[in-house]
Amino acid sequence: MEPSLFTVEGLAGLLFLGLLGVTLAGAVIATCSTNLIRAVAGLALCFLGVAGLYYYLNSPFVALMQILIYVGAICVTIIFAVMLAESSELKRLRQRNGLIGPLGILASGILSWALAGMALKTEWYKSACQANDGSLARLGEALLTTYSMSFELISVVLFVAIVGSLVLARAGRSKA
Amino acid sequence: MKLMLFAPELFLLFGALALFFLSTGKAGGKKARALTVSIALVNVLICFASLRSEGLLFYDAYKIDFFSQVLKLFISLGFSVVLLFSSELKGVEDEVRAEYYLFLLLSTLGLIMMVSSVELLTMFIALELSSYSLYLLVPMRTDRGGLRVQMEAAIKYILFGVVATGVMLFGMSYLFGLTGTTYFVELLPKLQMMMGSPVALIAIAMVMGGFFFKLAVFPFHFWVPDVYQGASNETTAFIASVPKVAAVAMLIRITALVTPEAQAIVNMLIVLSVCSMLYGNLVALVQTDIKRMLGFSGIAHAGYVLLGLVTLQEAGYVTAFYYIVGYLVMNLAGFLVICKVSQQGENLAIADLAGLHRRSPLLALTLAVSMFAMAGIPPFVGFMGKFMLLTGAYKAGHLALVIIAAINTAISIYYYLSVVRVTYAGNGEEQPLLQVDGMTKAVSVALVLVIIALGVVPNQLLQVATSAIRTIL
Repeated sequence: MEPSLFTVEGLAGLLFLGLLGVTLAGAVIATCSTNLIRAVAGLALCFLGVAGLYYYLNSPFVALMQILIYVGAICVTIIFAVMLAESSELKRLRQRNGLIGPLGILASGILSWALAGMALKTEWYKSACQANDGSLARLGEALLTTYSMSFELISVVLFVAIVGSLVLARAGRSKA
Repeated sequence: MKLMLFAPELFLLFGALALFFLSTGKAGGKKARALTVSIALVNVLICFASLRSEGLLFYDAYKIDFFSQVLKLFISLGFSVVLLFSSELKGVEDEVRAEYYLFLLLSTLGLIMMVSSVELLTMFIALELSSYSLYLLVPMRTDRGGLRVQMEAAIKYILFGVVATGVMLFGMSYLFGLTGTTYFVELLPKLQMMMGSPVALIAIAMVMGGFFFKLAVFPFHFWVPDVYQGASNETTAFIASVPKVAAVAMLIRITALVTPEAQAIVNMLIVLSVCSMLYGNLVALVQTDIKRMLGFSGIAHAGYVLLGLVTLQEAGYVTAFYYIVGYLVMNLAGFLVICKVSQQGENLAIADLAGLHRRSPLLALTLAVSMFAMAGIPPFVGFMGKFMLLTGAYKAGHLALVIIAAINTAISIYYYLSVVRVTYAGNGEEQPLLQVDGMTKAVSVALVLVIIALGVVPNQLLQVATSAIRTIL
């Protein structure tokens, strides 16, 4: 039976495809543009699309965090870095070898075809009931029970990242 | 008591905290080193004491069993050996040495936590902890000649690492999509029922990718030569040896999910093994920088280790385990010599080793034993390991693979022995004698003895490895 466009499922599917399109378009802009600022803008668009997908998948909190951290913080930081480092408009990314483009499209086409075929033919795990309501409370509970180890360990990883960036960026104690 | 189960990790965490406080002050490298060495040595004792403890922690995400405890002991031992022989740390500025030791310690902690984790996310984050620390160690090398090779190496290391991590996470998402769980205990029965499904196999292969990167197996090997060359000698000694033990352990854990019906995984491992061996050995033939050569030889050794995994049997896993422990010892012996011969922490060409036997007979002997062992010449551990890997693969019916591996062993003998030839026959009279401190002498004698002992009487280690592997099958 063809699902009609004007049912709930049809509209939801349309929304899903729209978000997918936004994500893809953002990714294509981010990789193909030669201007760095445009690439960052494409990346922000891609992150927004992914946030929409999270929202669609019943995880509003993760979606908000995605916007807050990735779009709000990471993209802005990259733009700051570009503004501080790049002085002239002329400094654009170098065009690569002409063969790389077609070969890349071919390789990614084959890969997408294989992954899509695989995903369509597989019988995915269906939980008997709805696994969780995607709420903050359930998320917090999972982080402090099932995934407590990962949650604690991430703080150590972040510690390494912070100390490491300080050590590398400030070149030791004397200049600190 | 549950706290005691977590003792080695907890001790390292507190050690890292102490080191961090030390590094916030005006501490130089000497104090930090003394603290780190004592932490490492005490940690070896703690690991030894908790060898037989068993239990589950953190909502069953963290399993302490004989397998994990044995690996923790070997990882701690490797870490201590690297610390003991990198006494001067010539390649790193004194003002960042405290942080250098901190990252080295946290990387070890990551590896120790990884071998105990029986849940995909915990395993992944422990792997990241160890990787992040290593990414940071590479660019901390002193900038020599203003070429910034260490920065290039670090960027390559991070980029390839990120790609491998992405592949691994993608695979994990498939595993979760298929089974609805991230716990190995629940994954195992569910996955074994769907061994015919291509998604399950691709997911397992992708998760293996993250560890192939650590072990430097063929399609994930691109970082190896540049990182080995760009990182300081002591850093390379660590990167080249200790994480590989943990990587093999995790590969064994993941391969144990596969049943013999999954011929595709076996075929993939065979192809990767052949490619790693051929690529590593053939490119190593033309190297002039000894660290680069050891890097390519490491790729080849990763290929040999996969010979143990393709059998999908307990005996194969045991020999893979045995081989990687042997590789840890012989690789550390080789890097000990490199670190000591390098005067200001510069890279060594193979030609620089000329006449080493006059400048320092002990170092020359250590290097020779290490090279003989890696080439697979009896009575050293490398021979025993290769012999068992080859016979194991032969018994499992992989005759072609065995022939290719044997040819590769023959190829590799050339470049290993040419190092020995340069060391003993080369003319290095104009070079001054090398001063070697007592600790280094003791460590190198110990390494040589272990290389010989493991090769002559492998039974002890094999029994330990067997009972360790049995706890996870």
